[in-house]
Amino acid sequence: MRLTSWLVVLIAVLAVFVDIPKHQFSFPFNCPGICLRIGDFQVNQEIKTHLGLDLQGGTQLILRLQFEKLPPGSNATQSELQTQAINVIDRRINAVGVSEPVIQGLGTDKILLELPGVTDIQQANELATKQAFLEIKVPNKEKPGEYVSLQPPLTGADLNPNGVYVTFEGTRPVVHFSFPGAAGNRWVQISKDFLNQPVQITLDGQEISAPVIQTVFSSGDGIIEGNFTTKTANDLVIQLKSGSLPVPLEVIQSSRIEPTLGRDSVQQSVVAGLIGLLLVAFFMIAYYRLPGVLAVLALLYYAALTYAIFRLVPVTLTLAGVAGFLLSIGMAADANVLTFERLKEELRTGKSLRAAVEEGRKRAFPSIFYSNLATIMTAGVLFWFGSGTVKGFALTLAIGVFVSFFTAVIVTQMLLQWAIEFPALRKRRLYGVEERPADTRGATTAVPATLSR
Amino acid sequence: MIRFVERKWIYFLVSGLMIVPGVIFLLLGGLRPGIEFRGGTLIDVRFDTAPTVAEVREVMSGLGREEAQIIVAEGGRVEIRTFEMTPAEQAATEAALKAKYGERVIDVNPQVVSPSFSGELIQNAIRSIALASLLIVLLIAYAFRDFGWSAFRYGIAAILALLHDALLVLGLFAMLGFFFEVEIDSLFVTAVLTIIGFSVHDTIVVFDRIRENLRLNPGEALNPVINFSIMQTMTRSIVTGITVVFMLLALYLFGGFSMRNFALALLVGVISGTYSSIFNASQIVSLWQEIEDRIRHRATPAPA
Repeated sequence: MRLTSWLVVLIAVLAVFVDIPKHQFSFPFNCPGICLRIGDFQVNQEIKTHLGLDLQGGTQLILRLQFEKLPPGSNATQSELQTQAINVIDRRINAVGVSEPVIQGLGTDKILLELPGVTDIQQANELATKQAFLEIKVPNKEKPGEYVSLQPPLTGADLNPNGVYVTFEGTRPVVHFSFPGAAGNRWVQISKDFLNQPVQITLDGQEISAPVIQTVFSSGDGIIEGNFTTKTANDLVIQLKSGSLPVPLEVIQSSRIEPTLGRDSVQQSVVAGLIGLLLVAFFMIAYYRLPGVLAVLALLYYAALTYAIFRLVPVTLTLAGVAGFLLSIGMAADANVLTFERLKEELRTGKSLRAAVEEGRKRAFPSIFYSNLATIMTAGVLFWFGSGTVKGFALTLAIGVFVSFFTAVIVTQMLLQWAIEFPALRKRRLYGVEERPADTRGATTAVPATLSR
Repeated sequence: MIRFVERKWIYFLVSGLMIVPGVIFLLLGGLRPGIEFRGGTLIDVRFDTAPTVAEVREVMSGLGREEAQIIVAEGGRVEIRTFEMTPAEQAATEAALKAKYGERVIDVNPQVVSPSFSGELIQNAIRSIALASLLIVLLIAYAFRDFGWSAFRYGIAAILALLHDALLVLGLFAMLGFFFEVEIDSLFVTAVLTIIGFSVHDTIVVFDRIRENLRLNPGEALNPVINFSIMQTMTRSIVTGITVVFMLLALYLFGGFSMRNFALALLVGVISGTYSSIFNASQIVSLWQEIEDRIRHRATPAPA
């Protein structure tokens, strides 16, 4: 219990530290936010609240599909290619983080892309325009030193997206890939046909690696040892996982855009949230007395911790996100309500305060556990299969439920344990029950006999 | 003591009366997809210096284009997104802008714009919800694993309660769409997902109590246990409902125009979720048991 208490306090301190706007201090003191460097592993995370397009505006790119660069003989229509390109960009942006972008087809040959905040335009450009067409080429038998495509070509489209990832050989990043099924068999066949010869891996027509095959492969897996930095390796993984763009794109316009919602609507929501919070706090204290006060403390803890996680992950907050966050505070109260209702019940059966707190905790746990687990599962499925707004929603929901579970099961319990250490706080009246132990004949656990028929 | 189980047909009737009208309007196509789902026309207007969003909104409202979304970009550009416009309507918009701003309007360029919220996304969401429902049935069945096959009826009842709440809100917005041209947007999708989460959460709390009471009172019939469990958890259901409703009422009343429909959807969903967890979910389990008992009664003739 001692250790848990310290942990709870430590988390509270860290959360408040992260919540402080415009960091005066930083860790370790010479960069904004969190900067860590352990060998090749680097974290440079600026801590700030990420606001959505509606609240703080962002960057708008207009991309043109370069149909003229399409290889002759391709028979997809312009609108099909446009839709494909939109889906690829959507997947790439989602892979980088949840930022709630807007991606729309514009006319028949353009795509409009809006990203919140002062995004790194360079990165956005690369993400949206890099075609990322991976192809495996083999030595040309007629012209030594040159490579030719296979018939039919073996390309990034044949990859298993879940088999693409980065590992480090020493400090050098290497990109792993995996061809499933028939493509995997072809990959094995290549290693037989071209043993002790180089095979070329190209990206958008450029060679990124040409390893010499030294053994016959046993599966469709392979690695690329290009001249990667950690960042370029990660970018390549995102691009390979998201698929290649069907046509090269070019940026024809990029500009800053202002928020769609004015300052007043943000202020209105914040005021509404504060009014709601006060109502909830007032109600909890009026109804549950001392435990109500503890619940309000626990809810403040919940709000501080959740907000800190939003800033760290980072989660992009839109107006809907803010409203969802406020709502989650109301819902987080539920786990406390469950505990306190149980506590009251146990006290009414005549148990001592200490025993009732312990029994209440035990009895309320399964309800809290299963109901939260069901919500986590829903959030998990929505995150896994959803995209865009739905994915963002699932993430905030999951964070909210995790934190609310933690506060109700650990923090509220800890506060209760502390409270009953003080003799002045041990009066049963403070817990909303009569001072004298009530009639214990109708203990709550048994169904009253009069009901049974 | 309230006889929750015995009065189940009254509660089912109340739910039916609340849901059926909405479903009718849903089938009539009452849900009006907003601009995010439909796409339309994007008019790119170049000014020498950009006017405010409010001013442009006034012009668009004058043309009966209440749905217009207006974004101010750098360099005096203003983008107006509306539902699809005919060339004549585009010309009328251009004329209205020029009438108001005269020489300040440098260039007006309308283009077709596709939905920003694709049908694929909605389909994915629906598929995910179906999968999540299946997982929830399994989770609840696992919690009730000591009760054999009847464990599954609790999970299925929870999903029916979830459908109840989702349908009620969808139906309400179908009616609002039909009569008041209220459109649904991405916020609405978020609201429905929240309601689904809340609904299951609420139902599980009641079911967990039933489970505990069944364990503590072996041999007791199901219906009295259900009545007793609902009564024990009712305070909690109502207190939680009230805290969430407080939050939502504040958002609805003070949150500004853009929050209003979102808060309304959640408000109705949460109240429905509380209702269905008290008055529907367990009653479905009870009904199932009664039907099963009746069938078994017929199958095995009573000993003489």
